[in-house]
Amino acid sequence: MFPNMIARNMKVWMLSAVMALSVSSYAQDKPNAENGKKLYDANNCGSCHALDKKLVGPALRGVETRHSTEWLVKWVRNNEKFRKVDKDPDAIALYNDNGQAAMNIFENLTPANVIDIIEYIKTAPAPVKAATVVVDSGSQKEDNTTMYILILLVAIFSVVLLVLARVQNTLKRVAAEKHPEDFEHHNAPKKGFFEKILPGKWGKMNPVVLTLFSIAIVGGFAAYYGYGFAITEVGVQKGYAPKQPIAFSHKLHAGDLKLDCKYCHSTVEESKQASIPALNTCMNCHKGVQLTDKYNGEISPEIKKIYAALDYNPEGKAGEQYGSNPKPIRWVRIHNLPDHAYFNHSQHVKVGKQTCQTCHGAIEKMEVVQQKNSLQMGWCIDCHRNAQVDVANNNYYKALHEKAKKDIANNQGKSKYFSADGKVKLTPAMNGGLECSKCHY
Amino acid sequence: MNNKLYILFGSIAASALMSGCVSRGNNPGWEYAPDMYYSKGYEAYNQGDSNLVNPYGMNMREPVAGTVAVGKLDYKYNLENTGDGYEASANLTAPAEATLEDGRGQYMYNIYCTPCHGSTGNNDGEVFKKVTTLKPAWKGYSDEYIKTLPEGKIYHTLTYGKNNMGSHASVLSPKDRWKVIKYVKYLSSQGTSTASATVSSDSTMAKTN
Repeated sequence: MFPNMIARNMKVWMLSAVMALSVSSYAQDKPNAENGKKLYDANNCGSCHALDKKLVGPALRGVETRHSTEWLVKWVRNNEKFRKVDKDPDAIALYNDNGQAAMNIFENLTPANVIDIIEYIKTAPAPVKAATVVVDSGSQKEDNTTMYILILLVAIFSVVLLVLARVQNTLKRVAAEKHPEDFEHHNAPKKGFFEKILPGKWGKMNPVVLTLFSIAIVGGFAAYYGYGFAITEVGVQKGYAPKQPIAFSHKLHAGDLKLDCKYCHSTVEESKQASIPALNTCMNCHKGVQLTDKYNGEISPEIKKIYAALDYNPEGKAGEQYGSNPKPIRWVRIHNLPDHAYFNHSQHVKVGKQTCQTCHGAIEKMEVVQQKNSLQMGWCIDCHRNAQVDVANNNYYKALHEKAKKDIANNQGKSKYFSADGKVKLTPAMNGGLECSKCHY
Repeated sequence: MNNKLYILFGSIAASALMSGCVSRGNNPGWEYAPDMYYSKGYEAYNQGDSNLVNPYGMNMREPVAGTVAVGKLDYKYNLENTGDGYEASANLTAPAEATLEDGRGQYMYNIYCTPCHGSTGNNDGEVFKKVTTLKPAWKGYSDEYIKTLPEGKIYHTLTYGKNNMGSHASVLSPKDRWKVIKYVKYLSSQGTSTASATVSSDSTMAKTN
């Protein structure tokens, strides 16, 4: 009995040992999805691939059904060798199908690593779509209904008012005919307008004189304030902040992401205009940045507008060019100098070394760009009189610089190039910055 | 009584009328003489009616194919945006004038490259910090991949874009592209303590095709 038990126990022990062995060996062979995910992230696979969506490379879900494991291992580790040395027809076809955007070489991954990654792709849970967020597009549109209703109401009430006034008049006339004694004061001589509103003898003066006098007073005030209004408001678009066709946020791009203004307005140093970027510039980032995580898997509606304008198909093949039916975006111009005034960006930015903010304000803090300065001539002239120009190594100011140096050597402290605080000050005005024909011709 | 009412309503109407021409929000306000504000001639960013002659109603047109704007004659690049073109670009070398000395490469790098690749090329720019999925497979310019990457291939990438990176041909002139490449290679060599910045000034522009 006793040895028998040992034998039986031995059996059990051996059985469990065999099982343990087989389990551990099984664990070694079995692809490890967890490790696969780590490798997937560590090698930035996600910069070119997504599981359920085509990015630069194809969507990876179901890749194990499209190719054999050996094929995938060879492809991932060195697709170039696979294509060029082994001349695998499937590999060459895949390369050409994806716009010949060659995949990087990952010889740092062992075949077991690649199998782990495939396991991760196989076992990754399908994306769960959250409850659809209904974006109310109706509220985005300009709604004029309220205004039309108000106008209609005003019209109706005016008609009612007129009718009531007529009724009242008729009733009065009827009443006066019946009881003329109650309406005697109506028959008394009528007082003039000025007699009513002016006290005593003032009201009895010649109405023509009084009329002219009051016109002079009222007209004087109107002219004074009207002139001020016309000069500071009419044709001055300070505060203009129109809604643009794409809700581009300068606060996000220039502020939070610290993009240099010149990344988009690239011609500002070379041209009269600080260029509005071509949509191709947007695509440098927005080919990849689609903010799908914020819009429940959908591409952001604003970014979709870029794609629509370019006729670009985000689901198309890698390296695919834009379509043949583009619709350029009509941005709304904010800063607008009259046609009779000349302004050149390169002159101010490259030669004058002015920052964008000098004229445009803190654009990097604006969600919607607003015109911060009046752009009136007086505003231009103020700066031309007061701005200190960096004249060193500035060929445009060379002559003025030499002249000032000579003048200071001759006149010492009495030179006209000293400003009130005793420092040398060279301004655009000294270099002809106030001449009419510099800006008006 | 009536007179006071007239004055009250009159002034309300007048102020309403006046405030209508003050620019704010979507309203640009009134103008004295719009025909003095808006050029009759075509201007690049004129906010006028749709252009009746040009395609898409735009004032600007693309240059005629095969023409070169005055002062814009630059290196010609014949390789095409294909896998073969990318491989062939490895044979290109930078022109002699592309050096680090004038600082142009660094200046342009800081405008056009830092948003993603960071000021030292560690892929730590603000855009990459926010959208990590855009990062390339290599870690930074100190990576062997960039150190051994031929300059010509970088030129091809700047010209046509690669993977998530778009084409920067419209913002970087060919001369500037080479200078930026020199600066990228300089940053790459700075990545390790042993390497020192060497800029070959005797290399010449390779003839392709």
